[in-house]
Amino acid sequence: MENSATYLMYIPLFPLLGAVIIGLMHVFTCKRPIFEKFYGIIACIGPILSFVLALRVFFNLKGMPEEGRYLIQKAFTWFQVGDLDVAMGFLADPLSSLMLLFVTFIGSLIHIYSIGYMGGEKNYAKFFAYLNLFLGSMLVLVLGDSPVVMFVGWEGVGLCSYLLISFYTTETENVIAGNKAFIVNRIGDLGFVLGMSFLFWAIGAHGFDYMALKANAHHLAPGVALTVCLLLFVGATGKSAQIPLYVWLPDAMAGPTPVSALIHAATMVTAGVYMVARFSFIYAHVPVAGSIVAWVGILTALLAAIFGMFQDDIKKVLAYSTVSQLGYMFAGVGVAAYSAGIFHVFTHAFFKALLFLGAGAVIYAMHHQQNIWKMGGLKKKMPITYYTMVIGALALAGCPFFSGFFSKDEILFMALANGHWGIWLVGVAVAGMTAYYTFRMIFVVFHGEPRDQHAYDHAHEAPLVMTLPLIILAVGALFAGYLNLPAIFGGDQEVTHWLAPVVVEHHPHVSKFVELLAMCASIVAFIIGIRLAWQRFGKGAEEPTFSGFTEFAYHKFYVDELYDSVFVQPYKRIGGAIRNAIEPNVTDAPIKLVSQLYMMVGQAFKVFQVGFVRVYAIYMIVGLSVMSLILSFSLN
Amino acid sequence: MNNDFLLLMPMLLVGIGGIGLMIASTYESITHERMAISGMGLFGVAFLFQLGNTVAHPTIPYEQVFNGMLVVSDFTRASGMIILGCGLATCMSAYTYFKQNPFCTSEFYSLIAFSACGMLLLTMAQELISVFIALEIMSLAIYILVGYNRQSQTATEAVLKYLMLGAFAGAFFTMGAALIYGGAGSTKFTEISASISANGYAGNAALIGGSFLVIVAFLFKVAAFPFHAWVTDVYEGASTPITGFMATALKTAVFAVFANFLVLNNGLHEGWINGLFYISILTMFVGNLVAIGQESLKRMLAASGIVHSGYLLIALVAINTEQFTGGVIAYYLAAYSVGTLGIFAALSYLGGEDEKRMNFADFKGLAKVRPYSAAAITIFLLSMAGIPPTAGFMGKFYIITSAISAGQIALAVFGIISSILSMWYYLRLIVNMYFHDAVDTFETDTCHKMAPVCTMVLALCVFAIGLYPIII
Repeated sequence: MENSATYLMYIPLFPLLGAVIIGLMHVFTCKRPIFEKFYGIIACIGPILSFVLALRVFFNLKGMPEEGRYLIQKAFTWFQVGDLDVAMGFLADPLSSLMLLFVTFIGSLIHIYSIGYMGGEKNYAKFFAYLNLFLGSMLVLVLGDSPVVMFVGWEGVGLCSYLLISFYTTETENVIAGNKAFIVNRIGDLGFVLGMSFLFWAIGAHGFDYMALKANAHHLAPGVALTVCLLLFVGATGKSAQIPLYVWLPDAMAGPTPVSALIHAATMVTAGVYMVARFSFIYAHVPVAGSIVAWVGILTALLAAIFGMFQDDIKKVLAYSTVSQLGYMFAGVGVAAYSAGIFHVFTHAFFKALLFLGAGAVIYAMHHQQNIWKMGGLKKKMPITYYTMVIGALALAGCPFFSGFFSKDEILFMALANGHWGIWLVGVAVAGMTAYYTFRMIFVVFHGEPRDQHAYDHAHEAPLVMTLPLIILAVGALFAGYLNLPAIFGGDQEVTHWLAPVVVEHHPHVSKFVELLAMCASIVAFIIGIRLAWQRFGKGAEEPTFSGFTEFAYHKFYVDELYDSVFVQPYKRIGGAIRNAIEPNVTDAPIKLVSQLYMMVGQAFKVFQVGFVRVYAIYMIVGLSVMSLILSFSLN
Repeated sequence: MNNDFLLLMPMLLVGIGGIGLMIASTYESITHERMAISGMGLFGVAFLFQLGNTVAHPTIPYEQVFNGMLVVSDFTRASGMIILGCGLATCMSAYTYFKQNPFCTSEFYSLIAFSACGMLLLTMAQELISVFIALEIMSLAIYILVGYNRQSQTATEAVLKYLMLGAFAGAFFTMGAALIYGGAGSTKFTEISASISANGYAGNAALIGGSFLVIVAFLFKVAAFPFHAWVTDVYEGASTPITGFMATALKTAVFAVFANFLVLNNGLHEGWINGLFYISILTMFVGNLVAIGQESLKRMLAASGIVHSGYLLIALVAINTEQFTGGVIAYYLAAYSVGTLGIFAALSYLGGEDEKRMNFADFKGLAKVRPYSAAAITIFLLSMAGIPPTAGFMGKFYIITSAISAGQIALAVFGIISSILSMWYYLRLIVNMYFHDAVDTFETDTCHKMAPVCTMVLALCVFAIGLYPIII
């Protein structure tokens, strides 16, 4: 068959194999350490090979006619129960091939960067084993040809995220952050599983892979489709940190910085967006669900942007900006601009990974200092980091002609074009806030005078193994946007065309004037944001004190505390009540009674085992007699 | 060579080898260590011969041997292999055991060979007198082995009880055989079967009474309720390797002949389904009750052996006389034998001098001092309790599915309940080994690795048989 490919399974397999090999090496060498770079180099092989294969997939697909552009591989039948026949199958179509390309590319770069960043850390090998495992799971998620296989990857990346957030296990806080991420994700996963089950119940009887589902999607009753969409979206809010489940992502910054860059910015957190785009054939039929997704997304973007303006930890700033950008992506897929949403996933992966890795270089140079109010003036000490980060920041802030500008603008424009002017308005405001907090961070960290002279004196530029990925990503952050250049700049929206066979969207015709106007609004917002940041922080500023609303925002609207008192504490109390009251009295008591009874009978039986042979003989005779009596009665 | 002799070769090897060992033991220069090695060699060769025989000559089921007196089928061969394997493991355990308990004389190993010879004959016997002869060959040797430690009061007591009660059972068997002969006019299974087919079973009082008495004798040998009382005392009194040998090889042989007897005719089997149903349930539950109250490990294992007999009785109830392969029974016997032999092999070296460590309390904290031994014992216990992925789990699984497919849902449920109850005493030892601090140093004569090696090999077998159930 021309659409079958035998090499798809190797794409996730290489990193997974790497994880196994490094894991075993770790087990056998943790007592007698070997040269640690060795692990890192082995770890890089898998992702790079996967990247090469991803390129092959891409060019294979490119050579196919547009309508039949997919590759499929059924590796083996995984399980078969009743109607459900799940193959361990992989599907590469334009959507997944785009995801594949940047996941493997950025994944490889971050692996290389980690060789430098993690140098000298304890459990160096374990880190790389987890990182490889993560990449393998992510690729299973992206390539899975049915929701079930996707769910395997979905859970795998969740597990790796948990393991890596808590990587520095010596501090209780990190472990708590890991737990929080895992538990919050589980709540989302429940939604995913329920949604998947509903979907199977409704239309799963004729095959449960995406091809069959897409063909049968029109059989879905509107109510069921809405339920499925919302349940799946609950899963997406968990994984992609949207309201109300966004709370885990800022805490997840407790993990090593390459992890934040790879998992909590570039790849894993975008899985929710990918999933919604994957299920676009259902979402497209349920505009209500789309609107809910879009509004949740844009409100998350707003909320996170507000929080981002008041953070003092460099990674927390970036974390909230990630939440905020994810909100944009959901706004995009929510207004049925799937290609715009996925395109923003794509560009965001470059500039956010760049920013995180840059922040990592700063943290590395400042000896694990993450408070921006302890930094300052680092521009002179770390020029490469500075310039690459500025490129990333400009892309994030949506400066014209940087990658973020094209993708974000595409989303906002599509929102406006589809009649969601409220979303557009909020989106523009958020764009301004994004520019403000991004450059607040840049100015405080790199400009002005050093606030901590001692740390400043010891700061130095990161080694080549770390700066090289920065430079490569900076190139990406600069030019990735040109892949989907809108018509207004003479482009032909290649990404949108590439994704067209997979996602179900329609492009309303809006006049060039409106498009230009929308663009101008974004640019104005950007300029206002960056100017405000310059005024306040450009020439050096002291750590501000917060009061009133700003204090409220600094404490993130006390959402964590609210969740704690509304959900966590009552839940704990119920658990405690069950353990202390119900379990010992209601469930354990009868069981204990039975066991005690049994023991008593056991003791009674011991009496018969007196040890006198005459008693045993009598025992036998009595038994024999009773048995013959029963026998003779049964014969009559 | 005549085909009949080829099929009987393992039995003949063991029998002739036993005589050879007996003659060799008259020389003072031959130490009992060398005898043990020879015993291992004998059982090993016989085992390989049996294996080769099975592989090289896949015979039709129930190939008659010696003019219909004996029969060879896959089931008897599998049972024979289990018995020979048990003999090999017992010799290995005994080698180390007698380093710490110096009452061995060289004849010990020849007696094991004789009893194994009787057991092999028993598995193949297809005629009541042959069965009786085989039973007696086996039992006589076992009686001596049980009372081998003549200084020990408990051993003497054990052999007395076993002998007296065994004589009872032997009398029942002879009586039963006589009645069957009266009822059917023959002692050959095939001719009894033909007679039942021709004249019916239900109305023939002599046949019913005779088969009843024969079955009682078998129930006695496998320690089923209500003929189980002797087993705890006898197992406790016998020396550890012999207890292991009795618990496994002897039970295998008797269950083989029991199954062969029941399947000889469909009418006979159906007539006993009800009776065996109640006996198997009572055996399982009484066995559990006896086991729960025990403090001594050997007594506990004896009682758990009763429970396992109960399971095997389920399998006997569930057999299909038309297409009997015995696979389920043979598999369970193999799984049970590996687990039980393993524990007794471990006890053989951990027991120390004069079997000083034989109670639950004596094994507190074993895991801290001897982690590998404790792990091996845990594996055996889990296998006996039926936890996946051990052989014991698969064995129970096959028995329960066979019960369900035979329509005996109630038996299957009782079997599962009983296996839950049995956790009590298996886990108790695990808890003792792992969750207590060590008070004992668990010093043993460490220069003789034979029993530890045997233990580890058997522990591997637990998983090997559990994961690759080849016998079925």
